[in-house]
Amino acid sequence: MSPRSGARRLAIMALALAVVACATPEPAPDLLAPTDEQMKLRNLQTRSFDVSDRNQAMRAVIAALQDLGFIIERANESLGLVTAARFAEPRYFDVVGVTVTVRPESEGRMLIRANAIYNNEPVTDPQVYQNFFATLERSLFIGRN
Amino acid sequence: MRAAAGLVALSLLAGCAAREKPQDFFQLTEESPRHKAAQTRYFETSGETELLSASAAVLQDLGFQITESVREVGFLRASKERGAREYGQEIARFFTALLSTVGFFGGANTLVVLPVDLHQQINAALVARPLDEAGSRHEVRILFYRLVWRSGGQSGDQSIPPGEQRMEMIRDPKIYQQFFARLSKAVFLEAHKI
Repeated sequence: MSPRSGARRLAIMALALAVVACATPEPAPDLLAPTDEQMKLRNLQTRSFDVSDRNQAMRAVIAALQDLGFIIERANESLGLVTAARFAEPRYFDVVGVTVTVRPESEGRMLIRANAIYNNEPVTDPQVYQNFFATLERSLFIGRN
Repeated sequence: MRAAAGLVALSLLAGCAAREKPQDFFQLTEESPRHKAAQTRYFETSGETELLSASAAVLQDLGFQITESVREVGFLRASKERGAREYGQEIARFFTALLSTVGFFGGANTLVVLPVDLHQQINAALVARPLDEAGSRHEVRILFYRLVWRSGGQSGDQSIPPGEQRMEMIRDPKIYQQFFARLSKAVFLEAHKI
């Protein structure tokens, strides 16, 4: 190896380093834009119910989650938020978390949205949300009488 | 024979490690009604706020700190820290250690020190809600669960570090009966089973 080729190598390495240092990855401008998948997921997670009172809807959400074995962690009445979690017994390190929001949609209707996560991964299975809304429906309409 | 034992052990392990299917996350189970019955009582009263503040007082009497409260939806959360040492575990730990020293005669370090439960945090989540439109009846549902931290241990030359954490629901109906008996006394009302 001649001293010249050694110097060239060094120069290339220095250049490569400089390039790496400069190239901080820029966040893409559409970072926060929703993807088609997210839109689909939102539709799965949302359902409109024939209830006029938000407080009543929230209490039904809480009761449904309790029936399903969830531990209610947080609730905020003015924002219509309920957060709950449950571990998949007996595997206490597998955690199912859920956030439910209750918002007025129109006169006499409430829009209820549930986001479920399993070990910090969003749950995308439609069946999961159908099951949740089925239990919620029972809690909303049977609890009334 | 050994193969069969191995198979049994494997199937047992697999049985323990069976993961819950996502479809079952929001599905009622066979035990759900039983758990609900143990965790719930109703009271013939229209005073939801009194019921809630009495519940908080009972939890305080039991040594809990209230960590969260939302009156509008009748929600309370509380926790308390306690030692978790049990005689059974300590005795098992002692005898396992004693027996495992037999290996020393062969010149190998076979000492086994089982980790034991050291500390626990007991948590409660309570919800009161009206049962009819007029609000003349209210139910109270409480859920107890606990977090347990384990001590360290040893298995031969390998040491088991302390601090392993475990979580479990408290299902003993007696614990719930005790809570509701106190609550019923505090509000001067009978606690009805659902």
